Amino acid sequence: MAARLLARRNLGLVVPGALAVLLVLLALAAPLLAPYDPAAGRLADRLLDPGSPGHPLGTDGQGRDLLSRLLWAGRASLTGGLVPVTVATVAGTLLGIAAGLGGRFTEQALLRALDVLYAFPGVLLAIAIASLLTPGLGATVLALSVVLTPAVARVAFTETRRIRTAEYLEAARVSGAGWGALVLRQVAPVVAPVVLVYASSLVGLAVVYAAGLSFLGLGVAPPTAEWGAMLDELRPALLTHPWVAVLPALVILAVSVVFNTLGEALRTRVGDAAAQLPRPVPARAARAPKQVSR
Amino acid sequence: MTRFLLRRLLLAVPTLFGVTAVVFATVALVPGDPVAAFLGPGAPPEARRELTERLGLDEPLPVRYVDWLGHALNGDLGTSVAGQRPVADLLLPALGQTLTLTAAAFLLVLLGGVALGALGALRPRGPGGRISGALSTLAVSAPQYSVALLLIAVFAVGLRWLPAGGTNDAFGPGGPADLARHLVLPAVAAALVPLGLTARVFRAALGTVLAGELADSLRARGLRPAAVLRHCVHNASPALLTIGGLQLAYLLEGVVFVETLFAWPGVGRLLYDALTARDLPLVQGGVLVVAVAFVGVNILVDAAHAAIDPRVRV
Repeated sequence: MAARLLARRNLGLVVPGALAVLLVLLALAAPLLAPYDPAAGRLADRLLDPGSPGHPLGTDGQGRDLLSRLLWAGRASLTGGLVPVTVATVAGTLLGIAAGLGGRFTEQALLRALDVLYAFPGVLLAIAIASLLTPGLGATVLALSVVLTPAVARVAFTETRRIRTAEYLEAARVSGAGWGALVLRQVAPVVAPVVLVYASSLVGLAVVYAAGLSFLGLGVAPPTAEWGAMLDELRPALLTHPWVAVLPALVILAVSVVFNTLGEALRTRVGDAAAQLPRPVPARAARAPKQVSR
Repeated sequence: MTRFLLRRLLLAVPTLFGVTAVVFATVALVPGDPVAAFLGPGAPPEARRELTERLGLDEPLPVRYVDWLGHALNGDLGTSVAGQRPVADLLLPALGQTLTLTAAAFLLVLLGGVALGALGALRPRGPGGRISGALSTLAVSAPQYSVALLLIAVFAVGLRWLPAGGTNDAFGPGGPADLARHLVLPAVAAALVPLGLTARVFRAALGTVLAGELADSLRARGLRPAAVLRHCVHNASPALLTIGGLQLAYLLEGVVFVETLFAWPGVGRLLYDALTARDLPLVQGGVLVVAVAFVGVNILVDAAHAAIDPRVRV
């Protein structure tokens, strides 16, 4: 098992995957790992540079330990990235399947509504929604869920469209399957893998957006630690203590690289797997060969 | 071509309606009572009723939407709460600054994207391909605000090569050279993500052409590799147009962070200030202007695409 995981061709997937798990674990274990209370600072120790004794990553403008704050911040920041992707995946899949299986009217109504949300640059839509809500993690999660849902719905719709005239769906309908059974047993298993791989490629983006909203003051409120909020808090120190000020920026960049690499590896892997399938596979043959005119 | 353009413009109408409706909804659904906020809690009921009528708040929502849309179409976006000036007067000069920054960043996106993409397409499995792949992943993953802070820390604070922020008029004392010095860092910060995406798409497009019959026949005629590449780049350029246009639109969304961190006086900076001051009319105005510009750029891209490639028109 271990040998297989560490085989060279799997490293592209295993390394970013392990790093992503490590990030989540670090955030979860923040209370055990953080050397100091993230909210309590000593004004005498203000703005120490990284490498100072007792504070390996330095301190912020209120003398709070940056290592502790960065660890704790992972909780809010990763929640702000992972929860919206989960919500958008579920909501988007349901909307996409509904548009794909529904009649012409349902399809057009849903697609046009999603198009309007699509017409906004993502960050701006998130800003517009979050600016209406009380700043906090809830605002971030809600705003980003709305922003990400249309993209997921698109993918789910395309997949559903592809199989909507398939004979096994017809067979299930004829044998009296209700809507619930049809969606859960027949459509979801086909749509899910594609949607999940797509959703995994959204996590990096969502983490970046979530930190961005906090940076703009729309997300987690101080004194709670969050990477984007820390970026904003440390900005005044940029000209005098640049290495303290860029720490959260570096963390967000690294996290984004890890999740994007993982998403990409998953995408190419699934793409490869689909291409390597031996030609006559029952599961594939069951799908509709081409768009059949209705 | 005219027919295609007309149809494309018609198709944009419902989208624009939707966009304005969403922006209006964010104005109308603001929690809290604007009348109470204006008059204070102890105001007499008659005064409240009078102001409610004057602001049109007693009308049903659809009527208020049409009213608001009419004003917006006439360039009246309301009055900034914090600045006490018409929102349009604040947004217009800022839009010019934003477009300057966006244009500079777009130039970087095209040059960098083509170079990085070509590097990857030439030897997909060699070191060039691997470097190109790693660099485009890094670029795509680089949040504008992280890049902005790192650039300021290294090039402005550390090395003191370039200014940390602000801008100058091209016709001011410093001239265009000084404007360019102020533009470099913000443009790079704004450009990285779109640059990475452009590089990926161009790499795939150029790779397909290089592996195809056109490249084979050029090689068979004895053209040197550089000449073959030149012809193939030409052939792969429509893909560049589509993705480049999309990226131009996405550059508009990165400006909030880049302009804020570099103190660049554009729409994004204005939006940040409006958000910190909870100046809702200005927030709505900024979001509306950028969203409409976004839709507009997408139409322009489609038009340019149709002009080059007749297949798109049918």
